[in-house]
Amino acid sequence: MRSQFSGLYLRELLRTFRNPFVLLITVVQPFMWLAFFGSSFANAPPSLVESFVGAKSYIAFLLPGTLSTSMLSVGMFGSMSTIQDKRFGFMKRILITPTSKGVIFLSKALGSATRGLVQFPIMVVAALVFGVSFQLSPVEWLAWVGALFCLAIGFSSLFLAITAPSTDWQTPGVVSNFITMPLMFASTALFNGAFFPSWMRAISAVNPITFSALLGRSFVLGTSVPWINLGYLAAFALALLGIGWIVAGRWLKVD
Amino acid sequence: MTAPAIEVKGLTKRYGSAGHGVVALDDVSFSIPAGTVFGLLGPNGAGKTTLIKVLTGISDISAGDATVAGYDVRTQSMAVRSHIGWVAAEVILDDDFTARENLWLQAKLQSLPDWEPRADLLLKYFALYDRADDKVSQFSTGMRKKLEIALALLHQPDVIFMDEPTIGLDVGTRRMLWDIVTGVHREFGVTVLLTTHYIEEADALCDQIAIIDFGKVVAQGTPSELKARVHGDVIALETSRPIDVPRLTAIPGVQDVRPQGNEWMIRATTAEAVLPSLLAAVPAETVRRISIEKPSLETVFLELTGHRLGQDEPMRDIRKFYAQMRQVRK
Repeated sequence: MRSQFSGLYLRELLRTFRNPFVLLITVVQPFMWLAFFGSSFANAPPSLVESFVGAKSYIAFLLPGTLSTSMLSVGMFGSMSTIQDKRFGFMKRILITPTSKGVIFLSKALGSATRGLVQFPIMVVAALVFGVSFQLSPVEWLAWVGALFCLAIGFSSLFLAITAPSTDWQTPGVVSNFITMPLMFASTALFNGAFFPSWMRAISAVNPITFSALLGRSFVLGTSVPWINLGYLAAFALALLGIGWIVAGRWLKVD
Repeated sequence: MTAPAIEVKGLTKRYGSAGHGVVALDDVSFSIPAGTVFGLLGPNGAGKTTLIKVLTGISDISAGDATVAGYDVRTQSMAVRSHIGWVAAEVILDDDFTARENLWLQAKLQSLPDWEPRADLLLKYFALYDRADDKVSQFSTGMRKKLEIALALLHQPDVIFMDEPTIGLDVGTRRMLWDIVTGVHREFGVTVLLTTHYIEEADALCDQIAIIDFGKVVAQGTPSELKARVHGDVIALETSRPIDVPRLTAIPGVQDVRPQGNEWMIRATTAEAVLPSLLAAVPAETVRRISIEKPSLETVFLELTGHRLGQDEPMRDIRKFYAQMRQVRK
């Protein structure tokens, strides 16, 4: 099982990082987020920004949220890679070896999550360019990366479970469009939840993106750290990994 | 007596619900002795690929039993997959990887720790060693096919499944593949189950053949045994008007006359002996085409199934289309 997992996991990574276009987009996209979205309050009075988001710099506020929401899209790429393998027959080649469907699922989920984390250092450098300063301890850096990894694992598993029986290219895109918007906006990733209506606040209170954004924000802004959020995100990742494992074992088919 | 490499008993594969679904394999039974090349010969849609899917564990069995390399396909699926290799109809490789990386991945999937000496041996055997570190997307179709067979042989399987291995290949590459299949069987001692709808391929490569049609095995044996089942020649006659069947049947030496599309299949002890009487019995101006076929797997297939293997259905449609066009013009 270890041999099959390491082979398929490395394949996922090699395929991604050998594609110059994917690498370019991976690097450019975070910069664009911070440049376009983060600069929307560039000329606003500091008091307005502080009253709106609770921080002096909107980019410092936005960075942990943007990193969290970008973990949503990594799941989509993971499921697209699965559908590609099914359509080009490679999934059949894998399944005609002693490789369990659970291992295939696990390698795809971890491959997507690892790919997603590549954005982390790029985004931090981008934030430095835009004037954000970081005073995190090594443990806090590690915890922040860990939280994002859990989020990426959870969303990758969710996407892979939803698209397991499908061979349609359109499915991951449709699923992504359907779940990305509510999860992104019904969270504190982009805005302060204090101004939300009660129904959005209810969604935000259980939305894992909120938990990840608040944890990362506490590290960047130097406020009190909600360590419990890390536990919540770990439970989210484990639960969806378990569900994905079961779903893949039952419904991941090429026939 | 050695155990069979593959044994199939009453195998049935049904898609959809019972009663409403499609039966792709219908009570199929056969046994393949270890160390042989066994061919499944049948037209497209006969159930050949489904049989491979079922035997490799890709599809579930609806009814019946099957063992591959001594392992039960239903209950020991992982053990089966450790002992088989697979060559797809369409070449399936990771195009982002080099030949060696494709072999590395296959070794990982088969949990082979010490794979490199064997991989080098196979790369040399298939004359790919010098290109081992090139991306396979730069390979010709023949090279890709060879690499796919090398992947199938890497873990020293007992059985290799080859699903229409030469489909879509030019004549030269097909001949090269035939040599490879024969060589692989001889050099590596594996049992080969190949599916094909090319009669000459089955005849040239296989020790034993099972003829499959509409999900059923209609005959099985060595190519010589199957050919011996057909007594006499077949004269294929195409006419523009209906023929006088009782008159033709009455000709001495004619065994049987039966329609097949726009053609008449006339079975005779010796075609050359009956041909003069036959031509005298059919108005010359109505004869569009006449051909003689000596006993072959083609005539065996025709004899057993009542239709030709391969392109007869589309051809019949084209003839029907031109006939209709002529009617319209008139």
